[in-house]
Amino acid sequence: MPPPAAERRFGGLIDRRLSARVALTRRYLVLAVSVGVAATACVVAQAVLLATIIERVVLHRATLGAVRPEIIALGLTFGARAALGWLGEVAAQRTSATVTSVLRRQLLRHALDLGPGWLAGERAGELSLTATRGTAALDTYFGRYLPVAVLAGLAPLGILAWVAYTDWVSSLILVGMIALVPIAMIFFGREATKRTRRQWRRLSSLSARFLELIQGLPTLRAFGRGDQGRREVAAATEGLRQTTMGTLRVAFLSALAMEFLAGIGVGLVAMVLGLRLLGGTISLYTALAVLLVSPEVFLPLRRAGAEFHASTEGQAAAERILSVLDQPVDKRTRREGVAPRSATPIVLANIAVTYPGRDTPALEPLDMTLESGEHVALVGPSGAGKSTTLAVLLGFVAPTTGTVTIGGVDLEGMSLSQWRRSLAWVPQRPYLFSGTIAENLAIGDPGADTAMLRHAAELAGLGELIDQLPRGLDTVVGDGGLPLSAGERQRLAIARVVVRDAPVVLLDEPAAHLDAHTESTLSHSLAPWFEGRTVVVAAHRSELVQRIDRVIHLGQLQEAST
Amino acid sequence: MSTVAVLRRLLRLSAPPWGRLTVAVLAGVAAAMATIGLLAGSGYLVSKAAFRPGLGAIAGLLAGVEVLAFVRAPLRYKERLAAHDAAFRALTHWRVWLYDQLEPRSPAGLGPWRSGDLLSRAVDDVDALQDLYLRGLVPLVVALAASAIAVVVVGLVLPAAALVLGLSLLVALVVPPVIAALTSPGRGREAVVRGAVGAEVVDLLQGAPDLLAFGCEDQFLEQLESADDELARLARRRALAAGLTSALLTLLIGAAVVGVLVVGIEAVRTHRLSPVMLAVLPLAAIAAFESVPAVTAAASRLGDVVAAGRRLLALEGIPIPVVDPDRPEPLPEGCPTVALREARLRYADDLPWALDGVTFELAPGSRTAVIGASGAGKSSLVNVLLAFWPLSEGQATLGGVPLERLAQDDTRRAIALVDQEARLFAGTIGQNITLGRPAASALDVDEAVRQAQLRSWVDTLPEGLATPVGEQGARVSGGQRQRIALARALVAGGAVLVLDEPTAGLDDTTADRLLADVMAAGGTHTVLLVTHHQRETDGFDTVIVLDRGRVVSLDDPYRRVGVRIRR
Repeated sequence: MPPPAAERRFGGLIDRRLSARVALTRRYLVLAVSVGVAATACVVAQAVLLATIIERVVLHRATLGAVRPEIIALGLTFGARAALGWLGEVAAQRTSATVTSVLRRQLLRHALDLGPGWLAGERAGELSLTATRGTAALDTYFGRYLPVAVLAGLAPLGILAWVAYTDWVSSLILVGMIALVPIAMIFFGREATKRTRRQWRRLSSLSARFLELIQGLPTLRAFGRGDQGRREVAAATEGLRQTTMGTLRVAFLSALAMEFLAGIGVGLVAMVLGLRLLGGTISLYTALAVLLVSPEVFLPLRRAGAEFHASTEGQAAAERILSVLDQPVDKRTRREGVAPRSATPIVLANIAVTYPGRDTPALEPLDMTLESGEHVALVGPSGAGKSTTLAVLLGFVAPTTGTVTIGGVDLEGMSLSQWRRSLAWVPQRPYLFSGTIAENLAIGDPGADTAMLRHAAELAGLGELIDQLPRGLDTVVGDGGLPLSAGERQRLAIARVVVRDAPVVLLDEPAAHLDAHTESTLSHSLAPWFEGRTVVVAAHRSELVQRIDRVIHLGQLQEAST
Repeated sequence: MSTVAVLRRLLRLSAPPWGRLTVAVLAGVAAAMATIGLLAGSGYLVSKAAFRPGLGAIAGLLAGVEVLAFVRAPLRYKERLAAHDAAFRALTHWRVWLYDQLEPRSPAGLGPWRSGDLLSRAVDDVDALQDLYLRGLVPLVVALAASAIAVVVVGLVLPAAALVLGLSLLVALVVPPVIAALTSPGRGREAVVRGAVGAEVVDLLQGAPDLLAFGCEDQFLEQLESADDELARLARRRALAAGLTSALLTLLIGAAVVGVLVVGIEAVRTHRLSPVMLAVLPLAAIAAFESVPAVTAAASRLGDVVAAGRRLLALEGIPIPVVDPDRPEPLPEGCPTVALREARLRYADDLPWALDGVTFELAPGSRTAVIGASGAGKSSLVNVLLAFWPLSEGQATLGGVPLERLAQDDTRRAIALVDQEARLFAGTIGQNITLGRPAASALDVDEAVRQAQLRSWVDTLPEGLATPVGEQGARVSGGQRQRIALARALVAGGAVLVLDEPTAGLDDTTADRLLADVMAAGGTHTVLLVTHHQRETDGFDTVIVLDRGRVVSLDDPYRRVGVRIRR
C-alpha cells in the first residue's frame, strides 16, 4: 500500500535522525554508496567487454586466443561484482543487527528512565511490541530495503550517464521511460490508495472476524452454534478474498506500469539500435553494449519497488522508536544524587499530584509524617490518591507541589535507587515474571538463600501450595508456566517483601484478592514481622496489618487516630 | 513430523486450487520466457542488423521483440493476481480446518492454547500458510520450469552451451537455497534466543514498576543485553552466509556467461554456430538467471511455512475432552434437577484436583450461589455443567441422566450460560440475543429484552435491536454487554441458568443493579451464580463455598427450597 507523500519525504529525515543516534549508520551508508558505485562500474565494464568480444568474433572472426584478455577481464568483473555483492550484503546485515540491538537497548534504558508513571496503562504492552516486532521491521529496513534503495538511486544515473556518452539517442529513450516511472507510480499509487482506503474498513473487519470467532468459541459452543461459526469462518475468508483481490487488481497496477516501462524501454532501444545498424550509423559494439546495460537501468528500481513494504514498515518502526527516545526524562534520574542518611522520618509536606493532561488532581494536598516503626493506613474511596501517595514515596511520580524529605534530606536531590533500597512494596497488581517461584521471590533480594525464600513463602501463606508442587520453589510460573490466581500472586508479592527485609514497607491493597479466612491467617503470621518496621498500607479496608497506629483519610483532608 | 510430511499434509488440507495455480505458473513461466526472448532476441536482432541485410530481413524479428516487450508485464501481473487468488482460496480451507481443530476442544481442552496470545498466534500462523503457494511453490515451480526451458532453447542453438548453462543453473538452484534454509533466522539457536529476548523485553517493560521498586532493573537489563548480544552475534554470522549466497549467485552467472561465450566462440570457429547467433548465448544466460533468486527466497519462506504448519498440526494431537455418545439419550422433559455426586476432576494426571469430591443438587427453580477465590474450582464447575470437560470420578446428572449419556448440544440447550465478560460478536444487538436460537420469535426476544432490563436503553437507539454492537461488542458498555448476554441466555430457552461471574469488570452500582435484575428475570429458572464476591450472594437459597476444589462451607438457610446436601 503506497504511503502518503508526506511519509515518504520523511524517509531521509529518519535516516539522518537514526544516524545521529547510532554512529554506525553513517559509516554503513557511506560504505553502501561506495559499493553501489563500484558495482555499477562493474556492470558497465561487463557490457563493454561482452560487446567488444562479440563484435570481434562476429564481424572480424576473432578466435578464442585473440579475445582471451577480454574474456579473462570479463571473468574478473564477475568476480569483482560477487565480492562487492558479498561486501554489501554482509555490511547491510551486520549493520542492521547492530543498529537494532543498539536501538533496542537505548529504547529499554530510556523507558526505564522515564519510569512507571510514563509506562502506565497500555504503553508497556505497546512498547514491548515496538521493542520486538518494531526492531525486527527495522532489521528488514536496514538489511534489505536500504541497500537496494541506495542502488536504485545511484545505478540508473551512472548507467544513463555512460549510455549518453556512448549513444545519446538510446539514452534519450531510456530517460523518457524513466521519467514516466514516477508519473505512473503516482497515478496508479493514488488510485490504489483511494481504493484501499475505501475498502479498509471492510478489510479490517473481515480479517478481525476470524480471530473474533476463534476467541468466541466457548460462547458459540455454549449456545450450540459451533456449526454457524464454521460457516462464518468460511464466509468471512471468502469475503476477504474477494475484497482483497479487488484492491490488489489496482495495487499491482503500479508494478505493472513499472515492468511495462522497463520492457518497452528495452524493446524500443533494441528496435532503434537495429534500424540504425541497418543505416550503418552505429557500430555493433555500441549497439550490443547499450543493449546489455538497458535492463540494468530499470532493475534496481524494480527491486526497490518490490521492497517497498519493508521500507514503510521500517520507517514507521523507526518513527515510533525515535519518538520514545525523544521523550525528555524527569530531572531526577535513577542513579545520581545523595544517599539518604536514614529511612525515617518520612515527611510529606503539602504534596499534591496532577498528572499531565488531566484537569483533576490525582492527589489533593497532603501533609503526613511517618515516624520510625509507625503503622499507618491510607483509606479513602478509589481515586482519592492512595496509590499515588505510594508512587510519590517510591519516586515513580514527582509531586506537582510540595516536598518529600527522608530523614531530613529532600527526596528531589536523592539517588532514587539508593532510597529504594530502604523500601519494600506490594503493588496492587504484582507482576509475575516468567521464571520459577524462587526467581520471582529473589526479586526482593537476589542474594537470598533457599531457606530464606522458603521461610518468606511460608509467612505469606504459600507453604501449602509449594508443598503440593512436585518441583516446589523451582516450579515455573508466569507465561507458559503454572497459572497463579490473583490471590496467589498477591501472596507471592507479600513473600517478596519479606525477602526484601527493608525498614519501610508499602502495601497497596494487599488483601484485595484474599478471602477473609486467608487474610486473618496471614495477619497473624505476619504481625511479628511488621513490628519495628515503618508500614504504610493503602486499602479500602484491610485487617492484614493488625496494629494500625493511625488512619489517614484521603479525599477528606483529615487525619484521625485510632 | 518430517518437513515433507508437514508440507504434504498442508497441501492436502488446502484443497489445492489447481485452476488458479496453473494459471499463475503458466503466466509466470511465460513472463520468464518473454524476458529471455526479449534479451536474446534483441541480441540476435542487432547482430543480424550489423550485416545490413535490409529492413525486410529483420522486420519480423523487430515485431517479435516488441511483442515480447509488451506482453511481459501483463503476464507478470496475471501471475501475481492468480497466485494471490489461489493463496486466499487455500486460506479458507486452512482456516476452517483450524476452527474445526479448536472447536471440539474449546474451551477447557485447549490447555495453554486457551490463552488469547496463543490463539492469536495460531491465527497468525494460519495466515502465514498463504506463503506456501504465494511465495513458496509458485515462484519455485516457475523458476524451475523457466530454467529448464531456457536450457532447452539454448540447446537448440548450441548443445554444448546448454550443458554449461544447465550446470550453472543447477548449482544456483540448489546450493543457495540450501544455505538459506540452513541459516534461516527461524531455525535453531537464533530462534530460541530471539524468543528469549522477546520474553525478557515483555518482563522488563511490564514488570518495570516491580523491578524499579526492588532495584533489580540493572540486573534484568544486563541479562537482556547479554541475550541481545548473542542474538546480534548470531545475526552477524548469518550475514556471512547471506553474503556468500549472493556472491555465489553472481559467480555462477559469470561462469554461465563466460562459459557459453567460450563454447560459442569455439563453435563459430568450427562453423557449428552462425556468428549472428553468438550474442544470443550470453544474453539468454543472463536472462535465464533472473528468476533464480526467487528460489532462495522461496526456500526460506517454505521454512517459515513448515514451522508454522508444524505448530498448527500439533493441535491435532491434543485429545478431545468430550465426545458425544453413539446413541445419546433424549433430554429429560421440563425443568430437570442438576446434581453432582462426589465429583472429582483434574485436567491431567500430574495436576492437582480442580474439583475434589463435590456433591450438591440444584432443584428446579432453586437459587444457588457458589463462591470461592480464583483457583477454587469455580470455572471447573462450569466446565462440567456445560459438558466442556468430563468428570474424572463421580457423577454429574441432568434430570437423573448422567451427562456423558446426553448429546453435548442437548446439555447446553438445557443449561444456558451467561459467561464472564460476555463475548459479543460483530453484528446487531438482535443477532447477538438470538445466537442460541436464531428462530426465536419476536415476542420471545421482546420478553427477554424486557426481563434483562434492556428495553429502555434499546428504545433510545435509533436503530433499536438492529444497532450493530461493533467488533467484539466494542461499542457497548460493560453493563449493557452483560445484559445482552443475559437476554441471550433467556432466549436460548434452557431451564437452568449458569451465571459465571457476570459482574466481573463492572463497578459496584452497575453490578448490584444487574444482579437484582438477574434474580428478577430468573423467574422459574434454576439459577446457579458463580462469583467471588460474598456481597453478591444475598437472597440466594444456598451458598456453597469452594476452596481448592472442595466444598468447605455450606450456608444452607432454613428457607432453603429443595436443596439437599449430602456430605
